[in-house]
Amino acid sequence: MPDLDPERAERELDRFFAEQRLTRRRFLGRSASAALMAGGLGAVLSACGIDGTAARNLASLQREAASVNHARVELGDWTFSNWPLYIDKAVVKEFDARYGGHCKYVEEINDNNDFYGKVRQQLAAGVPIGRDIVVLTDYMAARWVRFGYVTPIDKGNVPNFGNLVPNLRSINYDPRRQFTLPYQSGAIGLGYDIEQTGGELTSIRDFFDPRWKGRVTMLADPYDCATTVLLGEGIDASRATLDQVLGAIDRIGAANDQGQFRRFTGNDYTTDLTKGNVALAMAYSGDLVQLRSDNPNLRFSYPEEGAMLFTDNMMMPAHVEHAYAAETMMNYLYEPEVAAVVCAWVNYISPVEGIKPILERSDPDIASNELIFPPDDVRERLHSYPSFSTRQEQEMYEAMAKVTGA
Amino acid sequence: MRASDRARNWALGIWSAAALLFLFIPVFLIVLFSFNDNKGRFNFTWQGFTLDHWKEPFRDPDLAKAMENSLLIAAVTTVAAVLLGTLLAVALTRYRFRGQGAAGFFVFLPMATPEVVLGASLLAMFLVAGIDTGFWTIVIAHVMFTVSYVVVTVRARLEGMDPYIEEAAQDLGAGVWTTFFKVTLPMIAPGVVAAAVLAAAISIDDYVVTSFNAGQTQTFPLYIFGATRQGVPPEVNVLGTMLLVGVLLLMGLNLAVQKALARRDRAVVEEPPSQPPTPAVPAAGPSAVAG
Amino acid sequence: MGLSLSQRRRLIPWMFAIPGLLWLIVFFAIPLANQASVSLMTGDPEAGYSLTWAFDTYTSAISDYKEQFLRSFLYAGAATVIDLVIAFPLAYFMAYKAGRWRNLMLLLVVLPFFMSYVLRTVSWQLILADNGWVVERLRDVGLVADDGRVLATGTAVIAGIAYNFLPFMVLPLYVALERIDRRFVEAATDLYASRLTAFRKVTLPLAIPGIFAGSLLVFIPACGDFVNAALLGTPRQYMIGNVVQSKFLNVLDYPTAAALSFILMTIILVGIVLYSRLLGTRNLTEAAT
Repeated sequence: MPDLDPERAERELDRFFAEQRLTRRRFLGRSASAALMAGGLGAVLSACGIDGTAARNLASLQREAASVNHARVELGDWTFSNWPLYIDKAVVKEFDARYGGHCKYVEEINDNNDFYGKVRQQLAAGVPIGRDIVVLTDYMAARWVRFGYVTPIDKGNVPNFGNLVPNLRSINYDPRRQFTLPYQSGAIGLGYDIEQTGGELTSIRDFFDPRWKGRVTMLADPYDCATTVLLGEGIDASRATLDQVLGAIDRIGAANDQGQFRRFTGNDYTTDLTKGNVALAMAYSGDLVQLRSDNPNLRFSYPEEGAMLFTDNMMMPAHVEHAYAAETMMNYLYEPEVAAVVCAWVNYISPVEGIKPILERSDPDIASNELIFPPDDVRERLHSYPSFSTRQEQEMYEAMAKVTGA
Repeated sequence: MRASDRARNWALGIWSAAALLFLFIPVFLIVLFSFNDNKGRFNFTWQGFTLDHWKEPFRDPDLAKAMENSLLIAAVTTVAAVLLGTLLAVALTRYRFRGQGAAGFFVFLPMATPEVVLGASLLAMFLVAGIDTGFWTIVIAHVMFTVSYVVVTVRARLEGMDPYIEEAAQDLGAGVWTTFFKVTLPMIAPGVVAAAVLAAAISIDDYVVTSFNAGQTQTFPLYIFGATRQGVPPEVNVLGTMLLVGVLLLMGLNLAVQKALARRDRAVVEEPPSQPPTPAVPAAGPSAVAG
Repeated sequence: MGLSLSQRRRLIPWMFAIPGLLWLIVFFAIPLANQASVSLMTGDPEAGYSLTWAFDTYTSAISDYKEQFLRSFLYAGAATVIDLVIAFPLAYFMAYKAGRWRNLMLLLVVLPFFMSYVLRTVSWQLILADNGWVVERLRDVGLVADDGRVLATGTAVIAGIAYNFLPFMVLPLYVALERIDRRFVEAATDLYASRLTAFRKVTLPLAIPGIFAGSLLVFIPACGDFVNAALLGTPRQYMIGNVVQSKFLNVLDYPTAAALSFILMTIILVGIVLYSRLLGTRNLTEAAT
């Protein structure tokens, strides 16, 4: 029965803490033997530090890349880790049939940060992670290159590299594409409900237009939102400095304080936009290709000030075990016929040249879709992410977290 | 029965039905959208009825495999967590030993730890110990954080139960395990069943801790979370619905068997067998579905 | 063997407790001990982190994120109360009125959770869309302001938590209620004449272990929840779980993430001690005497 005698409660509390101290000592004694049994003692001992990443610096990796030579061997059993629903699996089957070996195709990358959390400790310890190709978005790919978590690609095994579109042949974090090859791209722009807006929207300034107050969603990642805002201010976002990005975050924060944005989102803006909860969303082009059938009023426009282009990149992790198999796959995916199949399935912007004529024959709707094949004048205004050091990146994320409340 | 009693029973029944309905509102929508003829890749708006997604629900072998993994993991987790948790709960309530209080509080801690820290620190240990992550590390992780839920649920049953029954059994010469299986376990059976159902539900729905410790193994929640980027295919709704219907069918079968048994019992004994404290233990829990 | 009866008796509880405790020590306590030292480290991902006994991580974590801590406890507490109100009659019905259907209902309570939180939450988002049927009706009856909404509000976050943790309340309550011998209550009804008094004097006190267990199973994990605030709320609703998530996965500030976790755990632990005293169950504290 209830017993609320405060004095007794205090006594109990004291006793509990005394007891806990006592048992902790006992627990520790016991846990030491338990740890040995489980081989877990090392986890405690290693707790005197977390490894940094300076082991392999970029310069030495680039030297290594100049003379890299992966022997042509049997492909064997190898592993390709990708995002779910990001390839027509017939392509993988076809690859196995043509080149032999077995490609273990794993759809395990749900989120760049989650995947990094899963493998970072092995990467930092310099052990193989058991994947031969991973597909990561620019800013994460940049981090892996910066940290030396990658294996150089032997271009001799990827002759189809010549099919890569010119504007992606070089990127700030990997100027000569020695470690990363684009898989698919998408643009960040304005996704809007034309019935609600009553007309076309084409400018990044529209995100801040008081007419849509509370009916706008903004992407939560500063690489997406702050850079887009900078483009709206006429700044070349791919060369932006940290101060410029922090300034953009400040302006996003100020607008947020005024109640301009309903939410900050990842991909989950799609429900809000489809259901008409918002009039305007900062959106990915690939999503809007699909969302039109759920809500015919939805439109996507590439901002007139230019758009950020994000790319998911294929790369080989450090200490890769089946480099030749991985390179053979990369080469295969750069064949226009294969790239056309992938593009028709994924509906993102393909980095491979010469697939439009193929799709004009097989899928004319896709070939004529400007969200999948941006017109030339748009293509010229696509910008890649700026490149930051780890410390700068941390500062940027911290500033953004202050705005998003976390 | 008095009129007020009947009114009270009705009110209780209606409230309970409403509460269950509340739990099932999103489920109805998920089932409905397994029949949606969606033209694009997202499945947000009703665009007409189709049976297409039901024709080949296992078309994507990776989705089917993810579902299979989730069910197996939930089954193994449930058995292990219920075993460890029930014994621990009995120790914490039915006996006295030094450090008991601290152990009682310690059990709450895994629930209080934010999942990302729980998942990452466990992964760190697996790596240092040289254990490859995959199916079994997911099981280990799930058992670790479901044990607490089992302990707390079973304790809710044990608290305040007559402590002398077991002592009496032991005084009569029954061994510790005999006492546990013949006396304690039947008394707490409903608690154990409830704990098992809870453990299965937590295991089958976990994302964060699993994502750290999954290696290259896919589970149903991992697949769905990843699929949101491209649009969750309606086959996911189909598989979810199939699971739902499967569990309900098994449960219905179990009810029918119970009813038949009860009829046979009534023929022998004239007393209706519904009195506590020994209610029937269901033969089919979620673990039976998976196994 | 060579043990006396009393020695054997003393070993019995350990026999029961050791498998479970050992599991938790090896797979929870030891890994967490590692995190305890991480929380006292300084550094950055590139240079690595080293142990510098930086206790000020804790003080700044508290002062920087007071708001999110408070909000977490507030939301988790509100959701716990809502769940108690919804669950008690349901658990009561299951325990005493459901008869053969009892186990079916038990299963129905958790069945929605076999369908991934992502699908459930997306469904709620579709159902509660601003211009959807449900919200329109809520506006009609005045529960939502004419220009108001349900999604992206604090109410939505609390409701989401209450929804997702409801089974954690129902099951322990049911387990505790089902144990009560109905003959007690019948005797009490004869004794006190009023049903309400009988309920208050007999059923409720006997249900206390269930209330205690249920509210802890809801409140504790809800405090660390981040999914509901992220999907149903706005930044103004973010909870401490969102901060830990962001510190760990985006900012890569592992020490602060660990420190925040330990602060949360400590507060919750103290809360449990006080709560167990308040409810007066012999649950925990008596065992500690």
